[in-house]
Amino acid sequence: MTVTQSGSNRGALDRPSGSSLAEVVDTILDKGLVIDAYVRVSLVGIELLTIDARIVVAGVDTYLRFAEAVNRLDIRNDDTKSLPEFLEGAEESGAEKKVKGAARGALGAAGESVRDFLSPQEERRRSHHGDGARRGGDG
Amino acid sequence: MAMEPAAVGTDDMTTTGWYVYGIVDSDVEVTDAAHGIGDPPAPVDQVVADGVAALVSEIPTGRPLGSVDDLLAHQRLLDAVVTEAPVLPVRFGAVLDSAEAVAAELLEPHDDEFREALDRLRDTSQYVVRARYHEPAVINEVLDENRTARRLREQIAGQPEEATQDLRIQLGELVSQAIEVKRSSDTQAVLELATPLTVATAVRDPSHELDAAHVAVLVSTGDQEKLINALRELARQWADRAEVRLLGPMAPYDFVVAGADAGGG
Repeated sequence: MTVTQSGSNRGALDRPSGSSLAEVVDTILDKGLVIDAYVRVSLVGIELLTIDARIVVAGVDTYLRFAEAVNRLDIRNDDTKSLPEFLEGAEESGAEKKVKGAARGALGAAGESVRDFLSPQEERRRSHHGDGARRGGDG
Repeated sequence: MAMEPAAVGTDDMTTTGWYVYGIVDSDVEVTDAAHGIGDPPAPVDQVVADGVAALVSEIPTGRPLGSVDDLLAHQRLLDAVVTEAPVLPVRFGAVLDSAEAVAAELLEPHDDEFREALDRLRDTSQYVVRARYHEPAVINEVLDENRTARRLREQIAGQPEEATQDLRIQLGELVSQAIEVKRSSDTQAVLELATPLTVATAVRDPSHELDAAHVAVLVSTGDQEKLINALRELARQWADRAEVRLLGPMAPYDFVVAGADAGGG
């Protein structure tokens, strides 16, 4: 099993050892000093693989997906609920457990694959050589 | 402004450019352990001028830039540097055509600004706080708080999909808007928690429809533990509704933009 891991317990602050690709893209393509504003720079072409990770502007697809998610919901402890809602909820409660379990598994697995992807080189470098740069002697 | 392909010279793979990662104090030493972009990873060099230095590596200009490895190499180098010394991270993808150009066109005209910025960033690093809603939980909150959403849900229940397309779009849009409102108040909650513990904060655009907050913070080294503990507490409070993730320490990507194009100085 690959879904068992310690990082994503509910209520625990998740501190991954590396960023996911989407997070790296958010950070280094969107932020940082832009030096071509005042320097003549020759930029080499950047591949389009970075596009996939960008945000989704909410549109009809998103709306339908949310409606679908509403439809999957378990009944709540909610005194405003109507009888049909109540019956529908009772029917769905089994399915809901499965959905939650699956979602949690997917989260965990994603977190783990990122770690797998990032750690080996990172750790080798840290343990054998220390950090990538160090402060020089003079102050 | 159009780019200058002329700087590349010829189109054969042996022409090289100088990829710029970031700007550091001139006394920062780069060790052999620093890996740049490339396969195998290029050694990282410094170009020094007027008390500041650019971290650079040589890359063939005929090679397309932007693979996953390229992106990761860029961020890893900068994030390793910031644990030792202040650094001004340069946005991914900047290549100058020679080491001389790095000194003469990038460093020398702006050395005062760079030194000043490096001083401001001394003993700080950046973290990114990202909270993401658990979908069933946030949708339950929306239904609890929104009568219209509850009514639409009832209207849709049990009907065939084809018959409820419009209602489902209405419901989904309502949910989406309600989540935006929640995001803005939850982002505010993160800012209120972080502001007393940080030097600066910067709200990022959401990058997922279930984002509850996406905030970059600049933290003094001495306050890192306090920030982490405060976020642990927030994660506990939000356990049933959102996952809280903390990335970092990393280079101050979100805090070097201001002033960069005030370059005339």
